[in-house]
Amino acid sequence: MSLINKVKNIFADKDPLEESNTQVADSSPPASAESSEKPAENFPDQPQERMTINLPVMKQSSSAQQSDEILIKAQPSVGNDQCVFMVNRTLLEGYSWYFANFESAAESPLAEALFSLEDVETVLVLESTLTITRKDKTIVDWKPLAFEVGAAVRKVLEEGSPLIAEKIIADLPAEDVIRKGIQENIDAEVNPGVAGHGGHIVLKSVKGNTVTIQMGGGCQGCSAADLTLKQGIHGSFRKAVPMVGAILDETDHSAGVNPYF
Amino acid sequence: MPKLNSFKVKIETGDQGTPGPVQFSINRHNVPFENVTGGTDASAVFEGGFEVNSFAHSLTLVGPEKGQWHIKKISVNFDCEGTQPYSVAYGEVALDETSQVNLWQDPPQPVFDV
Repeated sequence: MSLINKVKNIFADKDPLEESNTQVADSSPPASAESSEKPAENFPDQPQERMTINLPVMKQSSSAQQSDEILIKAQPSVGNDQCVFMVNRTLLEGYSWYFANFESAAESPLAEALFSLEDVETVLVLESTLTITRKDKTIVDWKPLAFEVGAAVRKVLEEGSPLIAEKIIADLPAEDVIRKGIQENIDAEVNPGVAGHGGHIVLKSVKGNTVTIQMGGGCQGCSAADLTLKQGIHGSFRKAVPMVGAILDETDHSAGVNPYF
Repeated sequence: MPKLNSFKVKIETGDQGTPGPVQFSINRHNVPFENVTGGTDASAVFEGGFEVNSFAHSLTLVGPEKGQWHIKKISVNFDCEGTQPYSVAYGEVALDETSQVNLWQDPPQPVFDV
């Protein structure tokens, strides 16, 4: 029995599990922009709109963090454009750092080791994770490079030397300075740019040099939001405030006015 | 978003229960759970599920029609087409007649050791 028939039975005050003779072609339309415009006509008993609470997913406890052995897990992104490496060691505490190229890796042994791998394009260090993009965007299989990255990270960690140049952290501006620079950039460049698509960006927090934003309006749930974030907002923020590290998006793209449209 | 074959929930009620009925909302349609066991009194554990066989653009647990429902923990097991079954858990939340809580999470991306 289809879900649609069960739902129809509910609205017809019948047993939801009772088979309906109604053809699927006559059934209620799926949730769409059109159907949601006239809920009262299609579903007279449709309940009032409720506020949806989005809880964070509880993390499974793991004993890996306490292990003496260096454990590294790789997780390619949905679009295979980047790969996140999770290490059971803190790589950079309280801050994050974006290495845009080999030159920027000077005096940072971890980044130097990674850029010595032929296909590594950029490296982002955040707490105990590394996010790496590759030069050859046509390769979708991350495994060969991921194993090279794992070996390089393990070697640097075993050497025990500082991972990131001390000068980087010493020269970081205060959070207030970063917040002011990012907010000015949002107001002057980013929001006027996305306003044409009915979107807007809100600066949620600055922690160390890690920036968290939220996308709203037409950006929320937009299929191009990831592209806008990585190719538009990231570049604009880094140009305006070069010391910014990770840029996190805490938008719930499954909610909003037009999710997935 | 993969096709959702079925899902099961386990809801641990805290110190304030609800007389029910417990409903979820899929793509904005309220539906009762199937194969229900347990209850939603204070400190009780409710279990139920549903064979969806469709795409879940939204999947929420609907708050009670009257009063507050204090939930201590929600565990959801998803069986989606083309992926390994996976589980997610959410922590405390209080629901009432104006609210619902999201249950859906996309399948986790594959992870491998390097």
